Amino acid sequence: MRSGKLQFVMGLLAFLIAWLWIRFPYEMFGAVKKFVAASGQVDPLTLHLRGEFVESNLGTAIEPDGSVTVRLIAQQFNFVPQCVLVPVGRPIRFRITSADLVHRFSIAVTNDALEVVPGHISESQIQFDKPGEYGATCHEFCGAGHYDMRSRVLVVARDKFPKSTPEERLTCASL
Amino acid sequence: MLLFKTFFRRTHVKAAMLALGLPFLVSRTKLPQSASPQPPVRVPSYVAWTQETIDAANSGEAIRGLVIARRCAHCHGQEGFSSDPLVPNLAGMDKLAIWKELNDFRDGKRNSAIMGPLAAELTVQDYSDLAAYYAILPIYPDPADPRSFPQLPSPLTHTAVAARLISGGDGARGIPPCQACHGPIGRKMGAPSLIVQNSDYIRLQLEEFASGNRSNDINMPMRVIASLLNDDERQSLASYYGSGAASTPVGASAPAK
Repeated sequence: MRSGKLQFVMGLLAFLIAWLWIRFPYEMFGAVKKFVAASGQVDPLTLHLRGEFVESNLGTAIEPDGSVTVRLIAQQFNFVPQCVLVPVGRPIRFRITSADLVHRFSIAVTNDALEVVPGHISESQIQFDKPGEYGATCHEFCGAGHYDMRSRVLVVARDKFPKSTPEERLTCASL
Repeated sequence: MLLFKTFFRRTHVKAAMLALGLPFLVSRTKLPQSASPQPPVRVPSYVAWTQETIDAANSGEAIRGLVIARRCAHCHGQEGFSSDPLVPNLAGMDKLAIWKELNDFRDGKRNSAIMGPLAAELTVQDYSDLAAYYAILPIYPDPADPRSFPQLPSPLTHTAVAARLISGGDGARGIPPCQACHGPIGRKMGAPSLIVQNSDYIRLQLEEFASGNRSNDINMPMRVIASLLNDDERQSLASYYGSGAASTPVGASAPAK
């Protein structure tokens, strides 16, 4: 019984240390993933016909309550939209799905790497505390063009972020 | 009570209960759904590559396609090599690509004053037959036939730019290699094979994709990629494909005779 308790305490300590090691450097870079969940299912073959991931709904949406949602499609061999525009210092919800096979959406200098599985909507919440251009790559081998499957997340100051209605969808082209 | 406790001490029972219970718990944790209104839905193409669609597109008979293709031969050529560089070659073209484009022409998803009415005259089974016919035509034109393909070889600078994009893409800008989807290295569902294609046609389509005038690519891969290319690169790719050099994979040696 005694050794069981000791093991438990040591395990907890190891976990805390590991957590600090993983968490601390990313907080220094100014972007922290808050929450990841698989939320909902879609038909990967008919993304363009109906539902949340039709092409007119992709990009950054400012919800009526002021929160930010970004919808993306990952496919062989690019992310759509290729350049994502988000404001600084606000929690941003990424919702991604795949049109063909498993990809992974990984934003540079953050610990955000979302497994993108066809048929499922992957969701994460992340906040960028520094403006700038963040590279985002596919982090799961997906075919001959995998190494060029890159996109960008452009984080801009709030006063530079374009004003929009809840029905508009923004990308870097709307700057 | 004692029996109950010993039962639950068994590790494998605990593990089984955890395995049963976890998916249920996970599926219950859900973020609040957003209530933002969607913009009006714009559909690029009514074709979706479900199994039924693929089966329908592959169900054609080449011999029937040969008869139907008589009305296409005036522009697209008897052997699938067109006499006008602005008209695509269809020899050896991907089955699914032909089938999808004909559907899009009929639905008005791809705009063409010529192809729209022509596609509307045919049935979906005719599309499959035509696709089966053109897919089996050889991709090497008859050298004695004075058609427009291959066009003049492109200048060396163009070749270098195009070969780099076709084989390796440009990672820094997120441009994937062309041959990963359009052959001969890899194929993507519904992507046309660009092995023997006319230069003017390629350049026009790249410009139309970049400007959004042509918007029938499902999930917009080509609109994204074409808008990332600059004018010089579009011209380079066009003249490279037009010169027939893409019939072997870039970087590979010529096939043994």
